[in-house]
Amino acid sequence: MNVSLFITCLCDIFSTNVGKDTVEILERVGCEVDFPELQTCCGQPAYNSGYVKESKEAMKQMMRAFKHSEYVVGPSGSCVGMLREYPEVFKGDVVWEEEAKALAEKSYELTQFLVDVLGIVDVGSTFKGKVTYHPSCHMTRILGVKDAPKALLNNIEGVKLIELPVAEDCCGFGGTFAVKNAAISEQMVSEKSQHVSETGAEYLVGGDMGCLFNIGGRMAREGKQVEVVHITEILNYQK
Amino acid sequence: MTVLNRETFLTNLADNLGRPRRITGVERPTWSVQPQWDVYQHLSSDELIDILEKQCQVIHTDFKRTDRASLEQVLRKVIEGYNGQSIVAANDPRNKEFGLQVLFSRLMEEGKEVHVWDSKLEKDNITFAERADVGITFSDITLAESGTVTLFNNRYNGRSISLLPKTYIAIIPKETIVQRMTQAAKQIHDANQQGNDVASCVSFITGPSNSADIEMNLIVGVHGPIQVTYIVVD
Amino acid sequence: MSVRIGNAPFDERVQHGIENDFMRKAVSSAQGRFRSQKQAAATELGNWEDWRTLGEEIRSHTLENIDYYLQQLSDEVSKRGGKVFFAQTAEEANTYIQHVIQEKDAKKIVKSKSMVTEEIGLNHALEEVGAEVVETDLGEWILQLDEDPPSHIVTPALHKDRGQIRKTFAEKKGYDKSDTPEELGLFAREQLRKDFLRADIGITGCNFAVAESGAVTLVTNEGNARLVTALPDTQITVMGMERLVPTWEDLEVMVSLLTRSAVGQKLTSYVTSITGTRLEDEVDGPEEFHLVILDNGRSKILGTEFQAALHCIRCASCINACPVYRHIGGHAYGSIYPGPIGAVLTPLLDGYDEHKELPYASSLCGACTEACPVKIPLHEMLIRHRQIIVEKEKKYPVAEKAMMKGYAKWASSPAAYKLSTKVARPSLKLWTKDETITNGPGPLKGWTNSRHFPAPSKKSFRAWYKEREKGAKSE
Repeated sequence: MNVSLFITCLCDIFSTNVGKDTVEILERVGCEVDFPELQTCCGQPAYNSGYVKESKEAMKQMMRAFKHSEYVVGPSGSCVGMLREYPEVFKGDVVWEEEAKALAEKSYELTQFLVDVLGIVDVGSTFKGKVTYHPSCHMTRILGVKDAPKALLNNIEGVKLIELPVAEDCCGFGGTFAVKNAAISEQMVSEKSQHVSETGAEYLVGGDMGCLFNIGGRMAREGKQVEVVHITEILNYQK
Repeated sequence: MTVLNRETFLTNLADNLGRPRRITGVERPTWSVQPQWDVYQHLSSDELIDILEKQCQVIHTDFKRTDRASLEQVLRKVIEGYNGQSIVAANDPRNKEFGLQVLFSRLMEEGKEVHVWDSKLEKDNITFAERADVGITFSDITLAESGTVTLFNNRYNGRSISLLPKTYIAIIPKETIVQRMTQAAKQIHDANQQGNDVASCVSFITGPSNSADIEMNLIVGVHGPIQVTYIVVD
Repeated sequence: MSVRIGNAPFDERVQHGIENDFMRKAVSSAQGRFRSQKQAAATELGNWEDWRTLGEEIRSHTLENIDYYLQQLSDEVSKRGGKVFFAQTAEEANTYIQHVIQEKDAKKIVKSKSMVTEEIGLNHALEEVGAEVVETDLGEWILQLDEDPPSHIVTPALHKDRGQIRKTFAEKKGYDKSDTPEELGLFAREQLRKDFLRADIGITGCNFAVAESGAVTLVTNEGNARLVTALPDTQITVMGMERLVPTWEDLEVMVSLLTRSAVGQKLTSYVTSITGTRLEDEVDGPEEFHLVILDNGRSKILGTEFQAALHCIRCASCINACPVYRHIGGHAYGSIYPGPIGAVLTPLLDGYDEHKELPYASSLCGACTEACPVKIPLHEMLIRHRQIIVEKEKKYPVAEKAMMKGYAKWASSPAAYKLSTKVARPSLKLWTKDETITNGPGPLKGWTNSRHFPAPSKKSFRAWYKEREKGAKSE
């Protein structure tokens, strides 16, 4: 199966490891992975801030980048969620609407792709530890991916998954929200950090780098010892 | 004129919707899903009574079940439990049928005040209801799911009876029990379609009045009755 | 008058909310309860999504044909002896009601809880013509005595604790008992009962009007709406024009959705449907009935991409689900309609000028959309608002606009983008220590004030991938 990696700009610049893990996981389960270099950012930072015109420039670039891909898979519920919104954004656009639909239909978040498309819940990870999982809002509510990440985690023998209290609550990231309404965002992330602490987990796992930067950044600031990791890092653990 | 400013108002709405005024010919579509009809669809009437009884615990309502022969006795006990010295009741034809009339005469003989709603007495009815200990009415339609009695208030069954006294007793003939509000609403809708005017006040009453306005703490009994009993009669 | 409350700027209101510890604890625990109760009520039905679909279909059909159904409603009310007044504006509604007050020479008015009368500032208008107005919903009464606006559309005094309430009762009404909710509630019952019995006019809002028969339906737990409609000889009901359903069958569905979503109850204690005046020989109920149907900016929403916002049934489940509301409270929104629906509706009803911050007071987490029993796409509407603020109203910060223009260039040019993946790390080097930025420049500052930010990786992913490919080829 041919899969084009959608790295997401955050992982491209800030989290090379997540990209590496994603490639290795996909290859391990038998996919032929390529990385279309023309890809940039999904457009969400501008789109969600109301700069729709500007965001469309980014989106068009993404449609060009993945035009010939069979599947597009990325390590982010939020960014893939944005790709899925393209048909709505380009509705009525004679040039781009069909392209938008084509991209939306072949795009998947990594865990969603593994579980729902490939039917795989065991990726051979040997990770050990007490983890709690934060289901990011866009992963669950925009993309509708609720069970796949947990299914994968639960299938790792050494993983003890502890339920995060009020897990469905937003961590306060919200893209530009974290900067524009920093005071509110701070309250939200402090509460999330508190909930993570309550679990006693050693690792906080999530599927969206933005949220993990937010929660991890707050917990580091508070001097907490919990390690914040992207789910790919757990799934690709091979020691 | 009893309807003012309608034309400009509604024309403006149609304009904003980008089409001509719709005055006739609008039909409700058949909704794609109708889950309201599935609720308790296959339950027997006895099973519905069980549901009602369980729901009464949720709504802080005492539940009794009896037959016509014992109703007088059960009702008397509930009134005594409420320390009911004065009682206001609807002037319902079922009072006679279910033996309430007999009970009322006996209670009066025993020195209790019993006032049966009498529209000729006008506002005096309300004055009495306001100081009555107990209000009694029959339920016209009873909703098992929510534990609700439905009253079609009219000249015989004033709104105040189930509202002003501190306690309220609803007599529920078994045959008035339906699954949920769906069946009651359909009944009203159908009657309306057939040209029968709906009552000036339809009261759906579910237990005693309550409020959670102070720190989300439930207070049972705010403006309406503080205690409520339902008596289901087989 | 408008939906606006308070004059403080948005940031100040937010800060005020964040610093109000009691309010935040109260809101947080209330949200917890509301959510679990609603969850239980929805789960119990087993097919909640079908119910939501049905709710959406009914609301959508009604709004698409609102002129038809309002005509039918007003005809039916009129047939049943009621007078109907269509008011384009808050002023028209208030003036009409003032006339009724004066005509009846009414001294005392009892009101049941109604958001729409808050919206038009009716109490103020009533006092202008010398009438005494008493709010009879317990929460509203507390707020009225304390001259404080509501902070939640279902439990308006959520931000107050029992100690504050006791103090208010003591100062304003001579209360001298404990601060237990039961005693406070009983006191309110005794005090307000006198008002009910003496009132000349009762004023209510309207949860749903039924077009087919002219019935106005009120959904309460306390029973105050029943007293307001049973005892005074004149009743005035004010309804937002969208608060209607075609038939009783639709009413039933909407009420089921409302009570479950609002408070997790199968039905509230009282669902009361009043049709016109009392009939001949009836003793209680109004002999004169006025229905005021209000536009006040709603018609502007019809036919726009925001039309579904008019589907709102005021259950507050979006408010109860919203993490932003939890931390800042209702007053921070500066509108009588707070939370996500408030952030959507307020700019539509009252313009962007005073409310341009509201659409941004959301992390777009979508909890509101998920909670809405009639499927209003609330968070998507917030994005639409942002788009209008940027593209039409042009109310953006200059620096932000410049940044977004730069973004568009960056994200549409693979070369520029690739360059940035190389220079990101060196350009942040000045602020980086131990792979972490703790005091970032420019827009990053808002972030790093309370959180660390990671430094860019030593090597970008694409650089790593390129090397890996080369390695593979040379092997």
